[in-house]
Amino acid sequence: MIIDWNLYPKEIVPRLKAHRVMKSVRKPPRLVTDTSDFTSITYGDIIHVDGRYFIIVGHTREGRFGIDSQIKPWVPKVQDLMNGERFIIKLVFHETYDLKIGELKVTCFRSPEKEARVLELVGNNPYFMHGCSVLDEVDNLVRILDIIDGRRLDNHIAKLGASHEEYVAEHLKEMLVRFLTSVAGIRLLHDNGLKHGDIRRDHIFVERESGTFRWIDFDYDFYVPERPYAMDLFGLGNVLLFILGKQNFRVGDVVNHPDMGEKIMKTINTNDLSLLAQDRIFNLKKLFPYIPDSLNNILLHFSVGTQVFYNSVAEFQDELQQAVDTL
Amino acid sequence: MAVREKLLIAVDETETSMHALHYVAQIAGCMEPMTICLLHIYPEPPPDFYLKGGTLASYKENQNAKAERVFSQAMIILEKAGVNKARVSTDNRFAEGKTISEELLAVRSEGDFGTVVVGKRGVSRTEEFLFGSISNALAQHSTSFTTWIVGSDDH
Repeated sequence: MIIDWNLYPKEIVPRLKAHRVMKSVRKPPRLVTDTSDFTSITYGDIIHVDGRYFIIVGHTREGRFGIDSQIKPWVPKVQDLMNGERFIIKLVFHETYDLKIGELKVTCFRSPEKEARVLELVGNNPYFMHGCSVLDEVDNLVRILDIIDGRRLDNHIAKLGASHEEYVAEHLKEMLVRFLTSVAGIRLLHDNGLKHGDIRRDHIFVERESGTFRWIDFDYDFYVPERPYAMDLFGLGNVLLFILGKQNFRVGDVVNHPDMGEKIMKTINTNDLSLLAQDRIFNLKKLFPYIPDSLNNILLHFSVGTQVFYNSVAEFQDELQQAVDTL
Repeated sequence: MAVREKLLIAVDETETSMHALHYVAQIAGCMEPMTICLLHIYPEPPPDFYLKGGTLASYKENQNAKAERVFSQAMIILEKAGVNKARVSTDNRFAEGKTISEELLAVRSEGDFGTVVVGKRGVSRTEEFLFGSISNALAQHSTSFTTWIVGSDDH
């Protein structure tokens, strides 16, 4: 394998020559300055942006709720050849699709520009992932993201408490107090005219050392001109549902649960289900009678039976804060 | 101070909107000294509009043409009901950085309109949560003016 080392500054050549990736690639690394065609940028290639040289050491995966499936080729894991620091890089990927909610559809899209604006707004705010945005040679907006040492919120919660009752007694308040910082973070975005865009329980990372909840992944956006923050609000409701239930409950989960079964299932009606995804049970009080009314009532705002919606994150935050204060 | 005889009617190309217009024309159109402003508001373009090569100028041009069609149709309805054309004006607005209901409320306030008219069709709770309801937004803010919410089944 012949490599033209003159392409690289002298100070990074020793690190590049010794890099483990160089031992496993069969072709010389490509020095990439135009990231438009991210599918052609592969393991071992070096992305040169912002005067820095990032060698690709892997790719992230779309890890949706326990199923690590597809590689995200536009999101490589990299190492800065100057100082050895590791980052995640996000390359421009303009994707638009319609999210179907029953018979309704919401147009969703990836917006690198929106993610860049969020990163700039949040700066070093501890409740968000951090990073910066730079332009490549042809003005693609490349985002360089710090790696969070932690794990997804759902995986974190799954390990707390031997039973749901024990989890509620010993861990729930702490989880809710931390979640309130996440809610305040979303309020900050909305107050500045920005959305998170993809609020899910696996888009909160729990920092290993501090336990701080941190939002990740801000590049999704959606087109709902009259209720621009509705999807974010519903995302918060979904995360709260998971935190209170320690898992999501669908009809099958209730039927098969050793402490619930058909007896509990018969008490569930349509009004107890999610307003948007009518396979999830939002009226958790019927499954766990010891859940405080004040918390369950917040969930009911997102159920089919609700007469009142939250119009803003501020309303949701205020009620959640009051409920948590009484625990 | 809002003037109740100044009517602001939100119009678009939907049947619901035209129903509301018929209602106003029949109930109040000929009452003196009522004046009517037909208001058309359009939202920001969808995100893929620009990615597909669209420009803001072309988007506005299309929306302006649509508004003109709506205004023409509305004028026919009003004239048929005997409304004096001289008492009708039109306003076409781009809700830039705002929701449509926010723009509507801003226009109402700017023009001291005492009566606002919108049509309302039956929507599911899910639809209302996701896409919002202009009539609900108006009802919430109708403290210094009056809102007529015209249901589509009234005609």
